[in-house]
Amino acid sequence: MADATASLRRKLWNPEARLAYVLIAPTAIFLVAFMFYPILYVFVMSFFRTNKLSDLVRFVGLANFIDRFHDQEFWWAALRSLIWTGSGVAVKFLVGMTIAVLLNVNYRGRKAARMAFIIPWASSVPISALLWQWVYHPEFGLLNHTLKISGLWTNPPGWLGAGFSAFVACMWVDIWVGIPFFALVFLAGMQAIPHELYESAHMDGAGGIRSFFSITLAGLRELILISTLLSAIWTFNDFNVIFILTRAGPANSTNILITSVYMNAFVDLRFDWAAVQSVITFLILTVVSVVYARFYFRQENI
Amino acid sequence: MKKSVMFRLGMALLIIVALVGCAPKEKPKVTFFWALYDGLTEDFRASVEAAFNKESKDAQVQIVPVKWDDMQTKLTTAVAGGTPPDISVVGTRWILDFMSTNSVDEVTQYLSKATVDNINPAAMEAKVKGKLMGIPIAAGARILAINNDIAKDVPKTMEELEADAIKVNKPPKVYGLIMPGKSHTELTDFCYYFYAAGGNYFETKSDGSYGKCTVNSDAGVKALTFMQKLALKDKVVQAGFTSMIRMDSHPVFYAGKVGYVMIGAWVDSAMKQAGAKFPVTYANIPSFAGEKPAGLIITDSIAFFTKAKNLKAAGKFVDFFYQDAYKGKFDQLVGFPPVTLSAAKDPFWNSPLFQALNAAALTARPWPLVDNFDTLSNETWKACEKVFQGQASPKDALDAAAAAVDKARGM
Repeated sequence: MADATASLRRKLWNPEARLAYVLIAPTAIFLVAFMFYPILYVFVMSFFRTNKLSDLVRFVGLANFIDRFHDQEFWWAALRSLIWTGSGVAVKFLVGMTIAVLLNVNYRGRKAARMAFIIPWASSVPISALLWQWVYHPEFGLLNHTLKISGLWTNPPGWLGAGFSAFVACMWVDIWVGIPFFALVFLAGMQAIPHELYESAHMDGAGGIRSFFSITLAGLRELILISTLLSAIWTFNDFNVIFILTRAGPANSTNILITSVYMNAFVDLRFDWAAVQSVITFLILTVVSVVYARFYFRQENI
Repeated sequence: MKKSVMFRLGMALLIIVALVGCAPKEKPKVTFFWALYDGLTEDFRASVEAAFNKESKDAQVQIVPVKWDDMQTKLTTAVAGGTPPDISVVGTRWILDFMSTNSVDEVTQYLSKATVDNINPAAMEAKVKGKLMGIPIAAGARILAINNDIAKDVPKTMEELEADAIKVNKPPKVYGLIMPGKSHTELTDFCYYFYAAGGNYFETKSDGSYGKCTVNSDAGVKALTFMQKLALKDKVVQAGFTSMIRMDSHPVFYAGKVGYVMIGAWVDSAMKQAGAKFPVTYANIPSFAGEKPAGLIITDSIAFFTKAKNLKAAGKFVDFFYQDAYKGKFDQLVGFPPVTLSAAKDPFWNSPLFQALNAAALTARPWPLVDNFDTLSNETWKACEKVFQGQASPKDALDAAAAAVDKARGM
């Protein structure tokens, strides 16, 4: 027993380990101060009534959670979050894959095409959203101007002014920003697949579609898993696009869980409700990540 | 080797300590959240900051520009985080909420008597129970601006305004009237119609305090029904109005495409900045037939934040800024009639615009100075949005808004 303790001590407290602790310490302190403490504080806040300055006023147990679960707008926001994330990731995946396939083919100007597809991803999301806000402007925007002068639509609507069109318009911007990520990841993955596999398949009589499903998609399986997970988390948490374009309106029609957190905290000044929704969002994303991670590592072990 | 390293480290430490000790003591720096009113320029902000920093021997100021629509959020975050600015422009209607959390101080303890005595007493809306909790920075009634290239008639009633707007409305080239239909910080757009219908936001108790919310009164329903009619039945408002806040929609007027707009004193300078050249007539915002004239007057104030560090220096800065050379210029850029008695003597304020503003101020009413004003504003906006989206009738939407306001105020 004494030997085991001494051995453990030697492992954990030798000169090399001490140096490691010193080197890790700044990062660890940073993480505790700026990540773990705020997360813990939000959990604590969700069980308290807060005032307009977010001070904890009194312990209310689960009352804030019950309050939120009884609010219809919470469930609408949750449903919109699911539609927003599911549709957004699906479209980004499909278009990203198509672009990657096109960029993987040898043709003149391929490099220029690759550069062009990276641009939306290279610019910051808020700047892209601001640009699109102007594109969608009903009076001075590029979209309506083009529709008018081309004669396609003499009196086009305000895209961000009605519930459904605002939701679709926001989703389009999120998709536009997110497609290059999938395209680039898939392109990198495709280039790592040995060309000989395609040649062999061709010699065995496999057509393009069969090769795509049996070689390309199979070769990209792990990349697809991880990139879809990342994109789902980013899309679920995409606050910038909606906030800049619609501020979750009109009449909450573009309000998803993450914007709802902001609206509760900084518009209604209900920091306790915002904390509850942050906790719920955190738990949803944690569960999704854990399930995905388990699936991913099980695949790897095979 | 080890000794040498230790010696070098020791020497380095000594040098650092010596340098820190010898460094000149920094002057206290006043942080001022400066609202980006329409008409204000970055050059002017920088010139005020530079002038004070050059003249002041014992304090410096950092003037932080903040978009008006972001001001309340930025301020709340800063105060909640324990790092409020020393002073900030605030909507006077926010002050009771800041007082409820002991976040703001009485301003007279930091300002010179000369500055306070130079303020027009009528503008001191932030006087709460005899204490001045904010020094007014801007006060102005709202008016009706008419693009005379499109419309000539000056409506006497809301009903006439509707008829005139219908007459000039030829979308998509020309619209009758500007109406922001997207929720934003200010509640003004509903209020124009609400006050015109004789509405009051709250019952007034016998002791003068506010009782239950009455935004859902007959006047409220009449106002919102009228707005709904203008926008959805008459279709005289600018295209895509439900996606536009004030900042998005007023430029359509400046572009010469709209007959009428209810607007504030900045209209003249904002039009000049937008290069607008059409002739404009200014008039009172009309009331509904049979109602007394009642426009809206809004004041903003500068508040001193209790937990800030340099409040005395902040007082000196405000004394400096409220000299005519700076505050007078500020008023002219923003277009609000001056709140200082001395600046009001400038002949600049004899223009037709300011005559209209002064006339409107005679019958205008301010916001109710009430706790939870932000809830009143947000819930009323939600009601308007629901009606514009066809999700609720004006009566149902305003009933829900009144109930939410009463709940927030514990009634």
